[in-house]
Amino acid sequence: MIISSDIEVAVAEPDESRPRHGWVRGLLVPKVLFGLVIVGFFILLAIFGPMLLHTDPGTVTSARLQPPSLKHLLGTTQQGQDVMAQVVDGARVSMEVGFGAGILTTLWSILVGLTGGYLSGTSSELLSMFSNVFLVIPSLPLVVILAAFLPNSGSTGIIIVITVTGWAWGARVLRAQTLSLRRRDFVEAARATGENTFKIMLYDILPNEVAIITATFLGSVVGAILTEASIAFLGLSNVTQWSWGTMLYWAQVSGAELSRAWWWFVPPGLCIALVGTGLAFINFGLDDVINPRLRAGISRRRRFARARSLVESAVSLMRPKRAATAVPAVGTATVTAEPASPDSSASRVLDIRKLRIEYGATAPVRAVNDVSLTLHRGEVLGIAGESGSGKSTLARAVTRLLRPPGMIVSGEMVYTTRSGRDLDIAALADAELRKFRWEEISIVFQSAMNALNPILTLGAQIDDVLKAHRPAMRRVQRANRVRELLELVGISPDRAGAYPHELSGGMRQRAMIAMGLALDPEIIVMDEPTTALDVVIQRQVIETIMGLRDRLGFAVIFITHDLSLLLELSDTIAIMYAGRIVELASSDQFYEHPLHPYSQGLLGSFPTLSGPKRTLTGVPGYPPDMRKLAAGCSFQPRCPHAFSRCEEAVPALLGQVEPAVAGHRPDPAPEVACFLYQANDASPEGAVAGGGRA
Amino acid sequence: MPDQRVSNQLPAPAAAPGSGGAPVLEAVGVTKHFPVHGKDAGRLGHRRVVHAIDDASIGIYPGKVTALVGESGSGKSTLARVLAGLYGRTAGQVLLHGQPVTATRGRAFRRHVGEVQLILQDPYGSFNPMLRVSTHLQRAVRIHDADHGSDVLRTRTGELLEQVHLLPAGQFLDKFPHELSGGQLQRVSIARALAARPSVILADEPVSNLDVSIRLGVLNLLAELTDTGVGLLYVTHDVASARYFASEIAVMYAGRIVESGPAERVITEPAHPYTRLLISSAPDPARRSRSDQVADTGQPPSLISPPAGCRFHPRCPLAMPECRTDAPPVFELGDGHWSRCWLFRADHGTPGHAAGTSPAQGAPAPSTPDDPAADSV
Repeated sequence: MIISSDIEVAVAEPDESRPRHGWVRGLLVPKVLFGLVIVGFFILLAIFGPMLLHTDPGTVTSARLQPPSLKHLLGTTQQGQDVMAQVVDGARVSMEVGFGAGILTTLWSILVGLTGGYLSGTSSELLSMFSNVFLVIPSLPLVVILAAFLPNSGSTGIIIVITVTGWAWGARVLRAQTLSLRRRDFVEAARATGENTFKIMLYDILPNEVAIITATFLGSVVGAILTEASIAFLGLSNVTQWSWGTMLYWAQVSGAELSRAWWWFVPPGLCIALVGTGLAFINFGLDDVINPRLRAGISRRRRFARARSLVESAVSLMRPKRAATAVPAVGTATVTAEPASPDSSASRVLDIRKLRIEYGATAPVRAVNDVSLTLHRGEVLGIAGESGSGKSTLARAVTRLLRPPGMIVSGEMVYTTRSGRDLDIAALADAELRKFRWEEISIVFQSAMNALNPILTLGAQIDDVLKAHRPAMRRVQRANRVRELLELVGISPDRAGAYPHELSGGMRQRAMIAMGLALDPEIIVMDEPTTALDVVIQRQVIETIMGLRDRLGFAVIFITHDLSLLLELSDTIAIMYAGRIVELASSDQFYEHPLHPYSQGLLGSFPTLSGPKRTLTGVPGYPPDMRKLAAGCSFQPRCPHAFSRCEEAVPALLGQVEPAVAGHRPDPAPEVACFLYQANDASPEGAVAGGGRA
Repeated sequence: MPDQRVSNQLPAPAAAPGSGGAPVLEAVGVTKHFPVHGKDAGRLGHRRVVHAIDDASIGIYPGKVTALVGESGSGKSTLARVLAGLYGRTAGQVLLHGQPVTATRGRAFRRHVGEVQLILQDPYGSFNPMLRVSTHLQRAVRIHDADHGSDVLRTRTGELLEQVHLLPAGQFLDKFPHELSGGQLQRVSIARALAARPSVILADEPVSNLDVSIRLGVLNLLAELTDTGVGLLYVTHDVASARYFASEIAVMYAGRIVESGPAERVITEPAHPYTRLLISSAPDPARRSRSDQVADTGQPPSLISPPAGCRFHPRCPLAMPECRTDAPPVFELGDGHWSRCWLFRADHGTPGHAAGTSPAQGAPAPSTPDDPAADSV
């Protein structure tokens, strides 16, 4: 089972887009820049202000309570002291206290929070108790008392007082974060590599707490500045040392607001507010860029696209027909004009034509590309593909659950009701859509725990569906239907009163299926319904689904990456690669004679349990990056049979007149999108003659 | 029905069946209980525990792959972590080169991880998102290489990436984990494990989070490593891949190893009813036209209060009275194949072919006719 290693060598893409110093760029985010300018201004003012301004803030002059003038830019106090000089001096004290206490508080909280969170046992408990005690001590009275003991020690005293009273909150948050980080796999991986505890804390825990540490730091700076101002304003610190707080204190005791000397108390108040705003802006801005995953810049693009699609969907809501796309709204005429083959028209329930779905508006990623599919009544259509191949996007489009930035760009999805009426799914108005979804088509998701409401009982959730869609049903009838549905999927009806967390994974998935069946839909879309389950439970759920299909006759679109499961339960199999269907065939044909090289590779990747062991071939290379698809056929870079034509054009999905392998074939013929099966002059007519399923 | 042959001599319990070598890493009767917190904890003095592993023995042999197969919650990942030295044990021993391993921290632990490396399931989760690939690899090299000048670091990290076929190495070193695909990142985690030049690699579901088309490449890479004499424990829920990839398979259910033996033998002649259920439940395209339905609708038991006797008995179609009261011991079936199931007791006589503790002799008995798995293979 060894494949030659030269073809599985990874090819790293040239990385022209990667931001080398993401954090430097982070500083250029408008919010951060704005905050930095404000805070920077005050820091510069604190350092250089006193040198530029040669006025002593304490000098008493005869120019009492002068409004702002050229001589005194911010006016004077009752003692004739220059307000400007006091503001500048106050900036120095505020910055000293703010950043001094901020740094000390943060360092102390990191020390206590990180060690307390990472270590376990008694030391951790003691540290936790220590910070909890400090958390419940009312900090303002403590500050007042401590400040009263240290009235003449200047800024240092205040810094110590603020640190002692303010560290506990940060320590607590960091401890909680550390507790969750130490359970993460990468910490366990680092331990398993043999890394020592100190280095794990330094390299693995600490960098992942940068966002919280920054927030703690900026928060404590603001807090310290405010606390200093409050203490000074209350007259509890040395009131002869100029700070914004003491300015307010003197303005207050001298009755500045009575004498309408606004220039005395507005500037210090405004300064405090401005510094606070500046720091808050830095905090908000850094939050967005501190995570390397958000640095890639995708988030901003996506947000823009989302805004745009929101506008577009709002527009389309106002007008019943789709306004956002260039595709003409599909009427019945268009559909019936389609040359339908005789066997398919009668039983056809869903017809997807040239569907194209893109994500994002500026640099769209085409998640689903030119997909055409037909689903018949009672058919099980399996769609397989790797992650990112577009299979889930397709499922969401069919159920109209696609959310922006995902958008249907072109193509149509026509649903045929039991009475033979055609509906264009993409053009359904809201009221019609509500009726259509769940009555005609329902969906079962992979994660039943997330899809079920944790605070409602199973019965209540199924009852909700019935209540919404069958308002005429009486309470007793609904209760009977709930019991019937639960029984149908193999859950004992007395479990109707159970909450989702009381059920096992398999039971929850059955409950989801029961909900999907509540209104007897024609189609059930199942998006990886069993992926999270163990094989034995998966087998139980699959057998339930298939049994119900046989009894109730609904069609199933079954989406999974597990091809061996799909082969067992599907009638028809569609293989998706990079947004396109590359092969469409009946399950048997596909298993016996896969045509597309990717299909062959996939089938050759599955170990079997019965029969002799076969050689596993696998698929060389790595799944494609949807943002940078190869020219021509998307599979061509991984394809062992690729030739020049594959790079030049995209092969269309065409029916096979003569499959490469001999043998009797039941209709319909398989379809494959590969030039290996297409002569150079292959025309669409030839393909149709080949008996495509359309 | 394939012929079931019985060998006349039983190998010594510790020896590799068929290989004759001694295991490089071995768990002997390992038990691991976790305390229960919260409202289920029970009264003080009667603290309740999760019986994550009970009396599990498994050996990993140089140059061979041993698969540990089981459902989620069966204790297979816990056993891998006990072997890695990350978890302590409630009872039992872990032997590395025949020497007992004790520490889960400190210098002795470091010596242990120098020989035994663990690879985790989720490649994205197992890398610190803030650090580049180069940092992760250099760190591992620094820990395990005495000589780590900057030149050594550079050549060594390059070599490591080359060993896992990530080329050109320079393209990958500067990347952050989220910039690589899952398959590439899992290769990096193998490279990181190789930095220690280990004699055992414990791979905990190494390919479960990867796309099907790239699983085989990663498994082949791990198989390549065994060519250099590394012993590998392949922990998985995918019994089919264990068949192709491992030489030995051990099946775990509810904290106990219920069956173990040569891979092909366990797959084609599963002895324990749980193994049969597992194999018949797994999807298998070669068996598409299955006529047999799996009747089982049960659930794995709670490990806080596991059922008495055999833990599979509430779901077992063949359960007998003794299964409800007494935990079955190991019954040897020959060729290193054994099962913890009362069906194979010597005086029971129904299915199988083995005797309790004495070497089995005589003609092979056919498998049970009511064995659904055996019919379909």
